Amino acid sequence: MNKNSFMSVMTQRFVFLIFLLGKIFRFITFGAFLLFLLKGTGGLGGYNINQVLFFYLTFIFVDSLAQVFFREVYRFRPLVISGDLDLILVKPINVLVRVLFGGTDFIDLASLPIILFFLIKTGQILNPNLFQVILFVLLMVNGLVIAMAFHIAVISFGIITLEIDHTILIYRDLLTFARFPIDIYKEPLKSILTYIIPVGVMITMPAKALMGIISPSGVVGSFLFGGLFLFLSLRFWNFALTKYTSASS
Amino acid sequence: MKKYLSVFEISYQQEFAYRLNFIMWRFRNIIQVFITFFMWTSIFAGSNKIIFGYSKERIFTYVLGILMVRAFVMSSRSADVSGDISRGEITNYLLKPINYFGFWLTRDLSSKVLNMIFALVETIILFLILKPVFFVQTNPMLVFAFLVSLAIAFFIYFNLLFLTNSVPFWYPEVAWGAQFLFMVVIAEFLSGSLFPIDVLPAVAQDILMLTPFPYLIYFPLQVYLGKLSTAMMLKGIVISGAWLVLLGFCLNKIWKRGLKAYTAHGR
Repeated sequence: MNKNSFMSVMTQRFVFLIFLLGKIFRFITFGAFLLFLLKGTGGLGGYNINQVLFFYLTFIFVDSLAQVFFREVYRFRPLVISGDLDLILVKPINVLVRVLFGGTDFIDLASLPIILFFLIKTGQILNPNLFQVILFVLLMVNGLVIAMAFHIAVISFGIITLEIDHTILIYRDLLTFARFPIDIYKEPLKSILTYIIPVGVMITMPAKALMGIISPSGVVGSFLFGGLFLFLSLRFWNFALTKYTSASS
Repeated sequence: MKKYLSVFEISYQQEFAYRLNFIMWRFRNIIQVFITFFMWTSIFAGSNKIIFGYSKERIFTYVLGILMVRAFVMSSRSADVSGDISRGEITNYLLKPINYFGFWLTRDLSSKVLNMIFALVETIILFLILKPVFFVQTNPMLVFAFLVSLAIAFFIYFNLLFLTNSVPFWYPEVAWGAQFLFMVVIAEFLSGSLFPIDVLPAVAQDILMLTPFPYLIYFPLQVYLGKLSTAMMLKGIVISGAWLVLLGFCLNKIWKRGLKAYTAHGR
Protein backbone atom coordinates (compact mmCIF):
# COMPACT_ATOMS: atom_id res chain seq x y z
CA MET A 1 0.00 0.00 0.00
CA ASN A 2 2.65 2.48 1.07
CA LYS A 3 4.94 1.45 -1.78
CA ASN A 4 2.16 2.44 -4.19
CA SER A 5 1.70 5.67 -2.27
CA PHE A 6 5.42 6.41 -2.58
CA MET A 7 5.47 5.70 -6.31
CA SER A 8 2.46 7.97 -6.77
CA VAL A 9 4.29 10.81 -5.00
CA MET A 10 7.43 10.24 -7.08
CA THR A 11 5.52 10.76 -10.32
CA GLN A 12 5.25 14.43 -9.31
CA ARG A 13 8.67 15.18 -7.86
CA PHE A 14 8.43 18.92 -8.47
CA VAL A 15 5.18 19.18 -6.50
CA PHE A 16 6.73 17.03 -3.77
CA LEU A 17 9.70 19.43 -3.56
CA ILE A 18 7.45 22.51 -3.38
CA PHE A 19 5.44 21.10 -0.49
CA LEU A 20 8.58 19.90 1.29
CA LEU A 21 10.14 23.34 0.88
CA GLY A 22 6.96 24.97 2.23
CA LYS A 23 6.85 22.72 5.28
CA ILE A 24 10.53 23.27 6.07
CA PHE A 25 10.16 27.04 5.58
CA ARG A 26 7.17 27.08 7.93
CA PHE A 27 8.98 25.01 10.57
CA ILE A 28 12.15 27.13 10.50
CA THR A 29 10.40 30.51 10.25
CA PHE A 30 8.08 29.84 13.17
CA GLY A 31 11.05 28.53 15.19
CA ALA A 32 13.09 31.63 14.35
CA PHE A 33 10.26 34.00 15.28
CA LEU A 34 9.75 32.13 18.53
CA LEU A 35 13.47 32.19 19.32
CA PHE A 36 13.77 35.94 18.79
CA LEU A 37 10.57 36.56 20.74
CA LEU A 38 11.84 34.51 23.67
CA LYS A 39 15.23 36.23 23.57
CA GLY A 40 13.38 39.50 24.05
CA THR A 41 11.13 38.23 26.82
CA GLY A 42 13.49 35.78 28.52
CA GLY A 43 10.95 32.94 28.49
CA LEU A 44 7.25 32.16 28.50
CA GLY A 45 4.91 31.15 31.32
CA GLY A 46 7.79 30.42 33.68
CA TYR A 47 9.69 28.28 31.17
CA ASN A 48 13.08 29.29 29.80
CA ILE A 49 13.92 29.69 26.11
CA ASN A 50 15.16 26.13 25.54
CA GLN A 51 12.17 24.62 27.33
CA VAL A 52 9.65 26.59 25.24
CA LEU A 53 11.51 25.65 22.05
CA PHE A 54 11.39 22.02 23.16
CA PHE A 55 7.61 22.22 23.62
CA TYR A 56 7.33 23.62 20.09
CA LEU A 57 9.62 20.95 18.62
CA THR A 58 7.71 18.17 20.41
CA PHE A 59 4.48 19.56 18.95
CA ILE A 60 5.91 19.63 15.42
CA PHE A 61 7.36 16.13 15.79
CA VAL A 62 4.16 14.51 17.09
CA ASP A 63 2.03 16.38 14.54
CA SER A 64 4.32 15.36 11.66
CA LEU A 65 4.47 11.74 12.84
CA ALA A 66 0.67 11.64 12.99
CA GLN A 67 0.58 13.02 9.44
CA VAL A 68 3.06 10.40 8.28
CA PHE A 69 1.03 7.54 9.74
CA PHE A 70 -2.57 8.65 9.37
CA ARG A 71 -2.65 10.64 6.12
CA GLU A 72 -4.97 8.14 4.49
CA VAL A 73 -7.76 9.41 6.74
CA TYR A 74 -7.92 12.51 4.53
CA ARG A 75 -8.91 10.25 1.62
CA PHE A 76 -11.57 8.33 3.54
CA ARG A 77 -14.62 10.47 2.71
CA PRO A 78 -14.71 9.64 -1.03
CA LEU A 79 -14.63 5.95 -0.11
CA VAL A 80 -17.74 6.30 2.04
CA ILE A 81 -19.60 8.59 -0.37
CA SER A 82 -18.94 6.44 -3.42
CA GLY A 83 -19.46 3.19 -1.57
CA ASP A 84 -15.94 2.10 -2.55
CA LEU A 85 -15.33 1.21 1.08
CA ASP A 86 -17.06 -2.05 0.11
CA LEU A 87 -13.98 -2.97 -1.91
CA ILE A 88 -11.84 -2.69 1.22
CA LEU A 89 -14.36 -4.39 3.51
CA VAL A 90 -14.37 -7.55 1.40
CA LYS A 91 -10.58 -7.85 1.29
CA PRO A 92 -8.76 -10.14 3.72
CA ILE A 93 -7.07 -7.23 5.54
CA ASN A 94 -7.96 -5.31 8.64
CA VAL A 95 -10.15 -2.47 7.40
CA LEU A 96 -9.13 -0.08 10.15
CA VAL A 97 -5.43 -0.65 9.45
CA ARG A 98 -6.02 -0.07 5.73
CA VAL A 99 -7.96 3.20 6.13
CA LEU A 100 -5.64 4.54 8.82
CA PHE A 101 -2.19 3.56 7.57
CA GLY A 102 -2.84 3.02 3.85
CA GLY A 103 -1.21 6.20 2.56
CA THR A 104 1.94 7.46 4.23
CA ASP A 105 2.60 11.18 3.84
CA PHE A 106 6.07 11.15 2.33
CA ILE A 107 6.41 14.93 2.45
CA ASP A 108 6.14 14.87 6.23
CA LEU A 109 8.33 11.79 6.32
CA ALA A 110 11.04 13.65 4.41
CA SER A 111 10.90 16.60 6.82
CA LEU A 112 11.05 14.39 9.94
CA PRO A 113 14.87 14.00 10.06
CA ILE A 114 15.32 17.80 10.21
CA ILE A 115 12.73 18.13 12.99
CA LEU A 116 14.24 15.18 14.85
CA PHE A 117 17.69 16.75 14.61
CA PHE A 118 16.51 19.99 16.25
CA LEU A 119 14.44 18.04 18.80
CA ILE A 120 17.45 16.00 19.91
CA LYS A 121 19.80 19.01 19.94
CA THR A 122 17.40 21.10 22.03
CA GLY A 123 16.61 18.12 24.26
CA GLN A 124 20.33 17.62 24.97
CA ILE A 125 20.60 21.19 26.24
CA LEU A 126 17.97 20.34 28.87
CA ASN A 127 20.30 17.64 30.31
CA PRO A 128 17.79 14.84 30.84
CA ASN A 129 18.79 11.55 32.48
CA LEU A 130 18.11 8.19 30.86
CA PHE A 131 14.89 7.65 32.80
CA GLN A 132 13.53 11.01 31.65
CA VAL A 133 14.39 10.22 28.03
CA ILE A 134 12.66 6.83 28.22
CA LEU A 135 9.61 8.42 29.83
CA PHE A 136 9.58 11.10 27.12
CA VAL A 137 9.63 8.46 24.37
CA LEU A 138 6.92 6.37 26.06
CA LEU A 139 4.67 9.39 26.61
CA MET A 140 5.20 10.49 23.02
CA VAL A 141 4.12 7.04 21.86
CA ASN A 142 1.11 7.50 24.15
CA GLY A 143 0.53 10.84 22.41
CA LEU A 144 0.55 9.07 19.06
CA VAL A 145 -1.94 6.52 20.42
CA ILE A 146 -4.25 9.42 21.35
CA ALA A 147 -3.70 10.91 17.87
CA MET A 148 -4.66 7.54 16.40
CA ALA A 149 -7.75 7.42 18.61
CA PHE A 150 -8.71 10.90 17.34
CA HIS A 151 -8.32 9.77 13.74
CA ILE A 152 -10.38 6.61 14.38
CA ALA A 153 -13.09 8.76 15.96
CA VAL A 154 -13.01 11.13 12.98
CA ILE A 155 -13.48 8.40 10.36
CA SER A 156 -16.16 6.74 12.50
CA PHE A 157 -17.97 10.05 12.69
CA GLY A 158 -17.46 10.31 8.94
CA ILE A 159 -19.26 7.03 8.29
CA ILE A 160 -22.28 8.25 10.23
CA THR A 161 -22.38 11.88 9.06
CA LEU A 162 -20.24 11.87 5.86
CA GLU A 163 -18.31 14.77 7.43
CA ILE A 164 -14.57 14.22 7.72
CA ASP A 165 -12.55 17.05 6.18
CA HIS A 166 -13.69 19.70 8.61
CA THR A 167 -13.52 17.47 11.66
CA ILE A 168 -9.91 16.59 10.91
CA LEU A 169 -9.07 20.26 10.43
CA ILE A 170 -10.66 21.07 13.79
CA TYR A 171 -8.47 18.39 15.36
CA ARG A 172 -5.35 19.89 13.74
CA ASP A 173 -6.29 23.42 14.76
CA LEU A 174 -6.91 22.37 18.34
CA LEU A 175 -3.58 20.59 18.34
CA THR A 176 -1.84 23.90 17.58
CA PHE A 177 -2.73 25.04 21.10
CA ALA A 178 0.08 22.72 22.18
CA ARG A 179 2.69 24.70 20.25
CA PHE A 180 3.19 26.34 23.63
CA PRO A 181 2.99 24.67 27.06
CA ILE A 182 -0.69 24.48 27.99
CA ASP A 183 0.13 26.13 31.33
CA ILE A 184 -0.02 29.51 29.57
CA TYR A 185 -3.76 29.14 28.92
CA LYS A 186 -6.31 30.21 31.50
CA GLU A 187 -9.16 28.15 32.92
CA PRO A 188 -11.46 26.69 31.64
CA LEU A 189 -9.43 26.42 28.42
CA LYS A 190 -6.54 24.78 30.25
CA SER A 191 -8.77 22.02 31.66
CA ILE A 192 -10.44 21.50 28.28
CA LEU A 193 -7.00 21.06 26.66
CA THR A 194 -6.03 18.58 29.37
CA TYR A 195 -9.14 16.47 29.93
CA ILE A 196 -11.53 16.90 26.99
CA ILE A 197 -9.29 17.51 23.98
CA PRO A 198 -6.13 16.10 25.53
CA VAL A 199 -3.55 17.91 23.42
CA GLY A 200 -1.76 18.61 26.69
CA VAL A 201 -1.42 14.86 27.34
CA MET A 202 -0.22 14.33 23.78
CA ILE A 203 2.47 17.00 23.70
CA THR A 204 2.97 19.02 26.88
CA MET A 205 3.23 15.94 29.14
CA PRO A 206 6.00 14.17 27.15
CA ALA A 207 8.01 17.39 26.97
CA LYS A 208 7.58 17.92 30.71
CA ALA A 209 8.72 14.34 31.33
CA LEU A 210 12.02 15.04 29.57
CA MET A 211 12.46 18.16 31.69
CA GLY A 212 11.80 16.11 34.82
CA ILE A 213 8.86 18.26 35.93
CA ILE A 214 6.04 15.75 35.66
CA SER A 215 4.44 14.10 38.68
CA PRO A 216 4.01 10.27 38.92
CA SER A 217 0.23 10.78 38.90
CA GLY A 218 0.62 12.81 35.72
CA VAL A 219 2.48 9.91 34.06
CA VAL A 220 -0.04 7.28 35.16
CA GLY A 221 -2.97 9.56 34.27
CA SER A 222 -1.53 10.15 30.78
CA PHE A 223 -1.25 6.44 30.01
CA LEU A 224 -4.72 5.74 31.40
CA PHE A 225 -6.06 8.56 29.28
CA GLY A 226 -4.38 7.16 26.17
CA GLY A 227 -5.78 3.67 26.80
CA LEU A 228 -9.27 4.98 27.53
CA PHE A 229 -9.29 7.15 24.41
CA LEU A 230 -8.21 4.27 22.21
CA PHE A 231 -10.78 1.93 23.76
CA LEU A 232 -13.62 4.40 23.27
CA SER A 233 -12.60 5.21 19.71
CA LEU A 234 -12.48 1.51 18.80
CA ARG A 235 -15.95 1.01 20.26
CA PHE A 236 -17.15 3.99 18.26
CA TRP A 237 -15.56 2.53 15.09
CA ASN A 238 -17.33 -0.79 15.60
CA PHE A 239 -20.60 1.04 16.17
CA ALA A 240 -20.08 3.26 13.09
CA LEU A 241 -19.43 0.23 10.87
CA THR A 242 -22.91 -1.05 11.70
CA LYS A 243 -24.28 2.24 10.30
CA TYR A 244 -22.42 1.99 6.99
CA THR A 245 -25.05 1.78 4.25
CA SER A 246 -22.80 1.09 1.25
CA ALA A 247 -24.57 3.97 -0.51
CA SER A 248 -23.89 4.53 -4.23
CA SER A 249 -22.11 1.23 -4.63
CA MET B 1 -21.54 48.20 -13.58
CA LYS B 2 -24.79 46.28 -13.30
CA LYS B 3 -23.13 43.00 -14.25
CA TYR B 4 -20.51 43.46 -11.52
CA LEU B 5 -23.27 44.07 -9.00
CA SER B 6 -24.85 40.80 -10.14
CA VAL B 7 -21.50 39.02 -9.76
CA PHE B 8 -21.19 40.50 -6.28
CA GLU B 9 -24.67 39.36 -5.29
CA ILE B 10 -24.31 35.83 -6.70
CA SER B 11 -20.86 35.43 -5.17
CA TYR B 12 -22.15 36.61 -1.80
CA GLN B 13 -24.95 34.05 -1.95
CA GLN B 14 -22.49 31.34 -2.97
CA GLU B 15 -20.59 31.87 0.27
CA PHE B 16 -23.74 30.77 2.09
CA ALA B 17 -24.02 27.66 -0.07
CA TYR B 18 -20.96 26.29 1.72
CA ARG B 19 -21.81 27.48 5.22
CA LEU B 20 -19.83 24.85 7.07
CA ASN B 21 -16.74 25.65 5.00
CA PHE B 22 -17.09 29.29 5.86
CA ILE B 23 -17.73 28.73 9.55
CA MET B 24 -14.70 26.43 9.73
CA TRP B 25 -12.50 29.05 8.10
CA ARG B 26 -13.66 31.64 10.65
CA PHE B 27 -13.25 29.14 13.50
CA ARG B 28 -9.63 28.56 12.50
CA ASN B 29 -8.95 32.29 12.54
CA ILE B 30 -10.37 32.53 16.06
CA ILE B 31 -8.20 29.67 17.32
CA GLN B 32 -5.17 31.50 16.00
CA VAL B 33 -6.19 34.65 17.86
CA PHE B 34 -6.76 32.66 21.07
CA ILE B 35 -3.29 31.11 20.92
CA THR B 36 -1.56 34.41 20.18
CA PHE B 37 -3.61 36.25 22.80
CA PHE B 38 -2.72 33.83 25.58
CA MET B 39 0.92 33.79 24.52
CA TRP B 40 1.13 37.57 24.92
CA THR B 41 -0.96 37.48 28.13
CA SER B 42 1.63 35.11 29.56
CA ILE B 43 4.48 37.37 28.45
CA PHE B 44 2.89 40.46 29.98
CA ALA B 45 1.65 38.63 33.09
CA GLY B 46 1.43 40.95 36.07
CA SER B 47 3.49 43.78 34.60
CA ASN B 48 3.11 46.89 32.51
CA LYS B 49 6.49 46.65 30.82
CA ILE B 50 7.14 47.58 27.18
CA ILE B 51 8.25 44.63 25.04
CA PHE B 52 9.51 45.12 21.49
CA GLY B 53 8.08 48.61 21.70
CA TYR B 54 4.59 47.34 22.57
CA SER B 55 2.62 48.14 25.68
CA LYS B 56 0.04 45.58 26.80
CA GLU B 57 -2.83 47.51 25.21
CA ARG B 58 -1.00 47.94 21.91
CA ILE B 59 -0.05 44.26 21.56
CA PHE B 60 -3.59 43.10 22.35
CA THR B 61 -4.91 45.58 19.81
CA TYR B 62 -2.42 44.12 17.32
CA VAL B 63 -3.64 40.58 18.04
CA LEU B 64 -7.34 41.44 17.70
CA GLY B 65 -6.53 43.77 14.79
CA ILE B 66 -5.09 40.79 12.89
CA LEU B 67 -8.58 39.30 12.78
CA MET B 68 -10.09 42.37 11.12
CA VAL B 69 -7.19 43.21 8.81
CA ARG B 70 -6.83 39.60 7.68
CA ALA B 71 -10.55 39.45 6.93
CA PHE B 72 -10.20 42.52 4.73
CA VAL B 73 -6.88 41.78 3.04
CA MET B 74 -6.64 38.01 2.83
CA SER B 75 -10.25 36.89 2.36
CA SER B 76 -10.49 35.98 -1.26
CA ARG B 77 -12.27 33.87 -3.83
CA SER B 78 -9.67 34.34 -6.57
CA ALA B 79 -7.60 31.48 -5.14
CA ASP B 80 -9.91 29.35 -7.35
CA VAL B 81 -8.36 30.80 -10.50
CA SER B 82 -5.31 28.51 -10.51
CA GLY B 83 -7.58 25.45 -10.45
CA ASP B 84 -9.63 26.92 -13.33
CA ILE B 85 -6.45 27.35 -15.37
CA SER B 86 -5.08 23.89 -14.66
CA ARG B 87 -8.44 22.29 -15.55
CA GLY B 88 -8.91 24.43 -18.64
CA GLU B 89 -12.08 25.98 -17.21
CA ILE B 90 -10.84 29.55 -17.55
CA THR B 91 -11.96 29.40 -21.19
CA ASN B 92 -15.57 29.75 -20.04
CA TYR B 93 -14.78 33.09 -18.42
CA LEU B 94 -12.57 34.47 -21.18
CA LEU B 95 -15.43 34.11 -23.67
CA LYS B 96 -17.79 36.20 -21.56
CA PRO B 97 -18.17 39.98 -22.06
CA ILE B 98 -16.66 40.86 -18.71
CA ASN B 99 -13.21 41.95 -17.56
CA TYR B 100 -11.64 38.88 -15.99
CA PHE B 101 -9.75 40.77 -13.29
CA GLY B 102 -12.81 42.89 -12.57
CA PHE B 103 -14.87 39.74 -12.22
CA TRP B 104 -12.55 38.26 -9.60
CA LEU B 105 -12.02 41.56 -7.86
CA THR B 106 -15.79 41.75 -7.42
CA ARG B 107 -15.94 38.19 -6.13
CA ASP B 108 -13.11 39.00 -3.71
CA LEU B 109 -15.00 42.06 -2.50
CA SER B 110 -18.08 40.00 -1.72
CA SER B 111 -15.94 37.55 0.23
CA LYS B 112 -14.27 40.39 2.10
CA VAL B 113 -17.58 42.01 3.04
CA LEU B 114 -18.91 38.77 4.48
CA ASN B 115 -15.66 38.00 6.29
CA MET B 116 -15.50 41.54 7.68
CA ILE B 117 -19.01 41.21 9.10
CA PHE B 118 -18.10 37.93 10.79
CA ALA B 119 -14.72 39.26 11.95
CA LEU B 120 -16.43 42.25 13.55
CA VAL B 121 -18.87 40.01 15.43
CA GLU B 122 -16.02 37.69 16.47
CA THR B 123 -13.91 40.62 17.65
CA ILE B 124 -16.76 41.85 19.81
CA ILE B 125 -17.31 38.35 21.24
CA LEU B 126 -13.59 37.85 21.86
CA PHE B 127 -13.44 41.28 23.42
CA LEU B 128 -16.23 40.33 25.81
CA ILE B 129 -14.67 36.94 26.65
CA LEU B 130 -11.02 37.95 26.93
CA LYS B 131 -11.59 41.52 28.16
CA PRO B 132 -8.27 42.81 26.84
CA VAL B 133 -7.04 46.37 27.29
CA PHE B 134 -7.54 47.94 23.88
CA PHE B 135 -6.00 50.88 22.06
CA VAL B 136 -8.32 53.14 20.07
CA GLN B 137 -6.61 55.43 17.57
CA THR B 138 -8.13 58.90 17.76
CA ASN B 139 -5.75 60.78 15.43
CA PRO B 140 -7.74 61.30 12.17
CA MET B 141 -4.56 61.55 10.09
CA LEU B 142 -3.37 58.14 11.32
CA VAL B 143 -6.80 56.62 10.78
CA PHE B 144 -6.72 57.97 7.21
CA ALA B 145 -3.17 56.63 6.67
CA PHE B 146 -4.34 53.27 8.07
CA LEU B 147 -7.18 53.14 5.52
CA VAL B 148 -4.77 54.05 2.71
CA SER B 149 -2.35 51.29 3.77
CA LEU B 150 -5.28 48.85 3.91
CA ALA B 151 -6.33 49.76 0.38
CA ILE B 152 -2.76 49.20 -0.86
CA ALA B 153 -2.60 45.89 1.03
CA PHE B 154 -5.86 44.81 -0.59
CA PHE B 155 -4.45 45.30 -4.11
CA ILE B 156 -0.99 43.93 -3.30
CA TYR B 157 -2.62 40.71 -2.09
CA PHE B 158 -4.81 40.52 -5.18
CA ASN B 159 -1.76 40.94 -7.45
CA LEU B 160 0.32 38.43 -5.48
CA LEU B 161 -2.49 35.90 -5.59
CA PHE B 162 -3.01 36.33 -9.32
CA LEU B 163 0.74 36.05 -9.97
CA THR B 164 0.71 32.77 -8.05
CA ASN B 165 -2.42 31.76 -9.94
CA SER B 166 -0.51 32.24 -13.20
CA VAL B 167 1.89 29.37 -12.48
CA PRO B 168 -0.50 26.68 -13.86
CA PHE B 169 -0.35 28.32 -17.30
CA TRP B 170 3.04 26.62 -17.58
CA TYR B 171 2.87 24.00 -14.79
CA PRO B 172 -0.77 22.86 -14.36
CA GLU B 173 0.14 20.20 -11.80
CA VAL B 174 1.65 22.83 -9.45
CA ALA B 175 -1.57 24.82 -9.01
CA TRP B 176 -2.13 24.08 -5.32
CA GLY B 177 1.59 23.68 -4.58
CA ALA B 178 2.38 27.24 -5.69
CA GLN B 179 -0.47 28.64 -3.61
CA PHE B 180 0.60 26.62 -0.60
CA LEU B 181 4.18 27.87 -0.81
CA PHE B 182 3.59 31.55 -1.60
CA MET B 183 0.18 32.42 -0.20
CA VAL B 184 -0.30 29.98 2.68
CA VAL B 185 3.23 29.71 4.02
CA ILE B 186 5.36 32.69 2.91
CA ALA B 187 2.66 35.39 2.88
CA GLU B 188 1.22 34.09 6.15
CA PHE B 189 4.49 34.16 8.05
CA LEU B 190 6.10 37.26 6.56
CA SER B 191 2.95 39.40 6.71
CA GLY B 192 3.06 39.59 10.49
CA SER B 193 -0.16 37.67 11.04
CA LEU B 194 1.51 35.28 13.47
CA PHE B 195 4.12 37.52 15.09
CA PRO B 196 4.77 41.22 14.64
CA ILE B 197 7.82 41.67 12.39
CA ASP B 198 9.59 43.82 14.99
CA VAL B 199 10.39 40.82 17.20
CA LEU B 200 13.08 40.04 14.59
CA PRO B 201 16.58 41.56 14.65
CA ALA B 202 16.87 44.99 12.99
CA VAL B 203 18.71 43.66 9.93
CA ALA B 204 16.03 41.03 9.24
CA GLN B 205 13.32 43.68 9.70
CA ASP B 206 15.02 46.05 7.26
CA ILE B 207 15.28 43.31 4.63
CA LEU B 208 11.70 42.13 5.15
CA MET B 209 10.34 45.67 4.88
CA LEU B 210 11.73 45.80 1.35
CA THR B 211 9.46 42.88 0.38
CA PRO B 212 5.69 43.29 -0.20
CA PHE B 213 4.61 40.87 2.53
CA PRO B 214 4.77 43.03 5.71
CA TYR B 215 2.57 45.60 3.97
CA LEU B 216 -0.33 43.14 4.03
CA ILE B 217 -0.93 42.99 7.79
CA TYR B 218 1.97 44.31 9.84
CA PHE B 219 2.37 47.76 8.31
CA PRO B 220 -1.33 48.78 8.39
CA LEU B 221 -1.50 47.75 12.05
CA GLN B 222 1.68 49.68 12.87
CA VAL B 223 0.11 52.75 11.30
CA TYR B 224 -3.09 52.26 13.28
CA LEU B 225 -1.16 51.82 16.52
CA GLY B 226 0.78 55.02 15.83
CA LYS B 227 4.10 53.24 16.27
CA LEU B 228 5.71 54.88 13.24
CA SER B 229 7.06 58.37 12.81
CA THR B 230 5.53 60.40 9.97
CA ALA B 231 8.66 59.84 7.87
CA MET B 232 8.59 56.09 8.45
CA MET B 233 4.91 55.97 7.67
CA LEU B 234 5.34 57.86 4.40
CA LYS B 235 8.32 55.68 3.50
CA GLY B 236 6.19 52.59 4.07
CA ILE B 237 3.34 53.92 1.97
CA VAL B 238 5.75 54.81 -0.85
CA ILE B 239 7.44 51.36 -0.77
CA SER B 240 4.12 49.51 -0.67
CA GLY B 241 2.78 51.75 -3.45
CA ALA B 242 5.89 50.97 -5.52
CA TRP B 243 5.32 47.27 -4.93
CA LEU B 244 1.73 47.63 -6.01
CA VAL B 245 2.80 49.26 -9.30
CA LEU B 246 5.57 46.71 -9.87
CA LEU B 247 3.37 43.71 -9.13
CA GLY B 248 0.60 45.12 -11.33
CA PHE B 249 3.09 45.57 -14.17
CA CYS B 250 4.48 42.04 -13.74
CA LEU B 251 1.00 40.56 -13.53
CA ASN B 252 -0.02 42.30 -16.74
CA LYS B 253 3.03 40.95 -18.60
CA ILE B 254 2.89 37.44 -17.13
CA TRP B 255 -0.86 37.10 -17.60
CA LYS B 256 -0.60 38.03 -21.30
CA ARG B 257 2.21 35.51 -21.80
CA GLY B 258 0.26 32.95 -19.83
CA LEU B 259 -2.79 33.34 -22.03
CA LYS B 260 -0.57 32.79 -25.08
CA ALA B 261 0.82 29.63 -23.48
CA TYR B 262 -2.66 28.46 -22.40
CA THR B 263 -3.84 25.40 -24.29
CA ALA B 264 -7.22 24.81 -22.57
CA HIS B 265 -5.68 21.76 -21.00
CA GLY B 266 -8.29 19.12 -20.19
CA ARG B 267 -10.99 20.63 -22.41
